[in-house]
Amino acid sequence: MEGHTKPVRIAALGMERRTYSTLQLFFHGHCKDNYVLVEEKSADISIIDMDGFQACRMLEEHKKHYPNQPAILISLSDKKTLDAVYVRKPIQLEALSSALSRAKEKLQQPMARITPQLQIADSECGIPPVLNEVVHNPQHDATLMAATPANITPVDVTPPNGKKPGFKQVNQYRYSAGSLSDDTDLELLNIKPTTRFNPHNPIQTAQYQYQPQQTLQGYFQQAYFMALQQQRNVVLKGPWRPITILHKSKQLRVEKNFRHLYALSGMFFNKSEVSITVLDDSVNCEPSLHETVLFAEPFLWKLSMRTSRGRVPEGTDFTVPIKLIRWPNFTRTIVTPHALRIAALWAKRPTSLIDTASYLAIPLQYVFLFYTATASLNFVAAEAPEKNNPAAPTLPVKRHKYRTIFQALLERLRNN
Amino acid sequence: MTNYKIIFTGPVGAGKTTAISSISDRSPVSTDKLATDMTRNIKKTTTVACDYGTVRLNEKDRLHLYGTPGQQRFDFMWDILTTGGIGLILLLDNTRPDPFQDMEFFLEQFNDFINQTQIAIGVTQMDLNSTPCIDDYHKHLHSRGMTLPVFEVDARKQCDVSLLIKALLFSLDPGLVENHD
Repeated sequence: MEGHTKPVRIAALGMERRTYSTLQLFFHGHCKDNYVLVEEKSADISIIDMDGFQACRMLEEHKKHYPNQPAILISLSDKKTLDAVYVRKPIQLEALSSALSRAKEKLQQPMARITPQLQIADSECGIPPVLNEVVHNPQHDATLMAATPANITPVDVTPPNGKKPGFKQVNQYRYSAGSLSDDTDLELLNIKPTTRFNPHNPIQTAQYQYQPQQTLQGYFQQAYFMALQQQRNVVLKGPWRPITILHKSKQLRVEKNFRHLYALSGMFFNKSEVSITVLDDSVNCEPSLHETVLFAEPFLWKLSMRTSRGRVPEGTDFTVPIKLIRWPNFTRTIVTPHALRIAALWAKRPTSLIDTASYLAIPLQYVFLFYTATASLNFVAAEAPEKNNPAAPTLPVKRHKYRTIFQALLERLRNN
Repeated sequence: MTNYKIIFTGPVGAGKTTAISSISDRSPVSTDKLATDMTRNIKKTTTVACDYGTVRLNEKDRLHLYGTPGQQRFDFMWDILTTGGIGLILLLDNTRPDPFQDMEFFLEQFNDFINQTQIAIGVTQMDLNSTPCIDDYHKHLHSRGMTLPVFEVDARKQCDVSLLIKALLFSLDPGLVENHD
């Protein structure tokens, strides 16, 4: 340990379950238990998620009750404060490690009265529009459910009337990697978009894009497609247990507690921390007692959804028609809202993301969610510009003469 | 009362009878007889005419589910059964020696009907034999210039068969609206 006989005690405030789990993993693995999560009143340092529900008020309360406790603020926006250490999301391991070191140095400094400079109005908190509908809409379950032992606190800020948004699970999933497993998945499927999205506004479009390259998703995609292309098994190593990709069966060999991998989806990893190794054919890839085998496609599908959080990969053109190359295996993976309709439309007539939402009269965020998941598996492609037909009708597909019957059948199938 | 029909087809043992059973309103009429030919090595009974099930849609509309006999000697019935149909469900058995050959065969046989309507493909028995995988089926379809819904299906599971039918319906009309609770 770093000059301390005991681990430094950290409170994680206003944090959603996924981020909290990620911190636990980080402290346990990367930091070798030099830090430990505790409740606020016992903490040496607090980490506060400024993008959460009522974050500003939480920060003010914290400063009022624990004025000498160093705070690390994490946020998507660029707001910095004078007397707190700031880490911008998506959180990089080095940035967080550095922030913790600086906060520890403050601990060791003589106590100084911290003047209340943090009178931050809600409107200045800079909560990004991507999350706006979720965190400010009292009809939604806030993103701050704690899944922790009773003696550790993040604050549960579920609004008193907050009803968990429902999503009817369509299938029984045989492949556990593809199942809806927790509230975070439900949140994903109930993200509401902001209105008036302008695809020609570079600032706005940038907010709806993300970079998967240095996330677990990005590295996994690299390894997976390498395995398929080279027709060899591949192992992906990093700050997680090794993931072995079996190219023939398109399956993965992972530790039994594989679900924690999804908790890493929001983190960035340096290339130096990750290795992708092609295995010799003679290497035994049978799972050990502590491992299990999953199908790769539902795993990557869900991983991309968790990583993207309703955004699309950087460089996506919102106005270029998208063509479906391959239908997802919907019986064995998460069926996002309107996924079947979008797939059918893109198979029948390539349509841009913006036009898809318009033609089908569905929230743009669900188009983004479906696009990101399918794109991660190369199931879609942008239509080449020269093939675009400028004379295409405004409505790409006309109403089927039996639509009323189909609607009645859909209703029957839904009720089965 | 107005009647509509969806046809289930595929080779022997693919699960057509079972799939119809899983979503019919009541036990479907089965025309199974004891198998006397090579089919008996696959299962004890075989459909000699067709399976039939119904789904009541509302007061006046009913959907009929017809399962074609899987054996080729009954192919004369296929044209009769598809007349007036709204779509085709093709079930393929992944444990058969050459499921791609099966797929090619049925796509050819029902080519005209598919061009007029739509088709969705369910691959059964993948729990017994996971290769070829779904991606392999897509590669074969891609070589024919086709992008079709192909799902792994357990014919006994209503949810799997329902999803396959939904894919067929949305392929026919992407403008359909599905309510989410």
